[in-house]
Amino acid sequence: MRRVTVVVATIAAAALIALGASGCGDDGDALTIYTGRTESLVGPLLEQFSEETGIAVDVRYGDTNDLALLIDTEGDRSPADVYWGQSPGATAFLAGEDLLAPLSQDVLDLVDPAFEDPDGRWVGISGRQRVLVYNSDLVSETDLPDSVFDLTAPRFSGEVGLAPTNGSFQDFITAMRVLEGEDAAREWLEGMVDNDARPYANNNAIVEAVSRGEVPMGLVNHYYNFRFLAEDPGLPSRNHQFADGDIGGLVIPSSASVVAGTDATEDAERFIAFLLSEESQRYFATETFEYPLADDVPAATGVPPLDTLAPPTGEQADELGDIEGTGKLIAEAGLN
Amino acid sequence: MTTARVDPRGIGLRIVVVLLAVPFAAPLAYLLVRTIDEGGFWEVAGDAALLGPLARSLGLATAVALATAVVGTAAAWLVTRTDLPGRRALRLLLPLPLVLPSFIGAFALIAAFARGGLLERILGPLGVGTLPQVDGFAGAFTVLTLLTYPYVYLPVAARLRQLSPSMEESARLLGSGPLETFRTVVLPQTRAAIAAGGLLVFLYVIADFGAVQLLRYDTLTRAIYSNRLVDPPVAAALSLALGLLAIVVVVGQRSVAGPVRSDVRREGGALVVGLGPWRLPALGFVGGLLTLALVAPVAVLGYWAVRGAAEGSSRPSSLIGNPERLIEPALNTSLASGLAAIVAVGVVLPVAFLRGRHGGRLGSVADALITGGFALPGIVIALALAFWTLNSPGAVGALYQTLPLLVGAYALHFGALALGPARVAVTGVPRALDDAARTLGRGRLSRLLSVDLPLMAPGLAAGAGLVLLSAMKELPVTLLLAPAGFPTLATRVWSAAEDAFWADASFAALVLVALSGVLTWLLVVRREREFS
Repeated sequence: MRRVTVVVATIAAAALIALGASGCGDDGDALTIYTGRTESLVGPLLEQFSEETGIAVDVRYGDTNDLALLIDTEGDRSPADVYWGQSPGATAFLAGEDLLAPLSQDVLDLVDPAFEDPDGRWVGISGRQRVLVYNSDLVSETDLPDSVFDLTAPRFSGEVGLAPTNGSFQDFITAMRVLEGEDAAREWLEGMVDNDARPYANNNAIVEAVSRGEVPMGLVNHYYNFRFLAEDPGLPSRNHQFADGDIGGLVIPSSASVVAGTDATEDAERFIAFLLSEESQRYFATETFEYPLADDVPAATGVPPLDTLAPPTGEQADELGDIEGTGKLIAEAGLN
Repeated sequence: MTTARVDPRGIGLRIVVVLLAVPFAAPLAYLLVRTIDEGGFWEVAGDAALLGPLARSLGLATAVALATAVVGTAAAWLVTRTDLPGRRALRLLLPLPLVLPSFIGAFALIAAFARGGLLERILGPLGVGTLPQVDGFAGAFTVLTLLTYPYVYLPVAARLRQLSPSMEESARLLGSGPLETFRTVVLPQTRAAIAAGGLLVFLYVIADFGAVQLLRYDTLTRAIYSNRLVDPPVAAALSLALGLLAIVVVVGQRSVAGPVRSDVRREGGALVVGLGPWRLPALGFVGGLLTLALVAPVAVLGYWAVRGAAEGSSRPSSLIGNPERLIEPALNTSLASGLAAIVAVGVVLPVAFLRGRHGGRLGSVADALITGGFALPGIVIALALAFWTLNSPGAVGALYQTLPLLVGAYALHFGALALGPARVAVTGVPRALDDAARTLGRGRLSRLLSVDLPLMAPGLAAGAGLVLLSAMKELPVTLLLAPAGFPTLATRVWSAAEDAFWADASFAALVLVALSGVLTWLLVVRREREFS
């Protein structure tokens, strides 16, 4: 009997704590940010924003795609004021559902027009470049291809890892469809399948497999190998850049938007402008090895400067959002 | 017989069960609304291209369920009934692989055992050649078996602790060997617990995404995930199909498994089967299982933590350099998952009573709904609850992204884990004892508190333990529905691993394993002892 009393008391106490915690967790005045960036990377930046501006911030970290789906489900009741995703695809999905508000010209002016939505619903914050990561014990530098299109050649048969379900890979395919044409993209995907390209879960899994030597090379974002080498400088994985202007060297922006229906437009834009300030942009360059997309902040040591990259240009930002078409194309090629 | 037993007050129980079962219908109802809204269910359901993923899901789930049934049952019997050396410590360690989130557990196992991995580097100088590639069916089967056998181990161990060893003693006295005794006496009495655990494994594997994604085995869940943003109607239709499939499997399994037998509780001390010459092989089996499922991933995580410690600790957001950043997540994890375990057991108990004592269709429906909630991917549960909460009036809508909603979501997602053991526990209480208490004039509540609950305690503790360990590592629901600024250990692990901060991710994962060990001891192991 005594034991039961203890159990009941525990439950009651726990319920009280729960109610207390839930009461103070919901701060209606705070700026609510949903972000697909991780706390490990951008946590310090958000703390700094609160300190500098006095604006309280509620951050929800999560998967870029899942958070976009959550905002879609929440609709006009969304608590989110800002959406800051990893991939233009997810942002374009929200834009397509009319869930993003246009940004003011002041904010748009901060960014190179190549990295913003023509309709002004998102701006690029920082860029990640597509590269070919390779195992320097297994592959000689001279054997590396100039173009991503070379990877369908017989000499790369079974040698290349890629992540067909990953947002960055899909963004890369979307850009290829826009810039090189639907047929070229289809042909390349089918060529990669015929060439026994090896599917992996994500960028991490590819870099890990390449560093073990399970697969000699793989298509990833440039950032991951920097992290792997920071944790273990002895790894044989290296980044290879495709030739200037090759679609394989696409720079993919992470992008920020104001969620439609927010009652804190001013604070939301202030936050996005903060991300584009020189201070924040320098943080991306030095702490996250990413490309600053505003001001003249140089890239991190060891990362080639953006203006020497000559990434392919001319893609229409709004067309980068046709993830449905890209998903179908990848599936039809048999890569899912 | 059954009708004579129906308590007129079973009506009250039925009303309670209906009220409790309604939230469990929320995810399927949401999928139904979405699918009717968007259409296309029949095109998706009739798409031949999906037969492959469907067959792979079913095949993998069946194979893993069978393997865990064997491994989990053998381990449970060895540590509860024999003179296996170190069985006390093993009882604490054996449930722990469950707490490794599959995205980090599978990743660590790949890094350890795959071609060119850590094991190969260690064994290389000893002349061992290349290890096979870990992927596809064999890889997914091995990794999932190692990560999910506790779903069988915990309920079967609980069942064995509840069972009288007198029949085993008699069998042994009559000259049966340990194996013969196990087959003729132990197996029939634990069959329901094994089947319940195997079903949980089956449903877990069907819903798993982390492991199959990393091991490149193309199941139905991968199709759901890769379509969720690209083609949401297809993802919704596939999820609905998955949920309905799970319900069919649950109903089918329940009817095949048949009723659970009620047994007299043991009196006197525990029976200890002398393993004799089998002691070493038995220890080798349990030790090998733990080495692969727990020691290996933990060793890899430890290696990563140490390797990256020097580099990572200078960053302001480093977890290794600032371990105090894990205190709040550890408290949040304990609070949310502890509450979820208590709530889940409380919610499924009436259903277990209805099923065990009264039978009938209502109990079966509630049972199938609760169990089906475990087979849906977390992202579906999260979006469904977001949808219903925000579309509800005032008080309910205000719960959105608060702790009560998070705990409720855990209980909804993991209620199945408590229900199986609770059913076995309810039917394991001898009716004669309950009847005797009634004859002595004890009321229903008094009987529940003084007879039923104490006898059911090991089973309920096992169920609570399963919910606890699963909620501790839960990710998609936590990320979407937790209160703002409510980091858990699992979200810290994820955040670090997502951007390849392996030292931080490993350190947080090790804290998660350690915390789960402490909580398992407090809530499950110690409690088992107290009641036995």
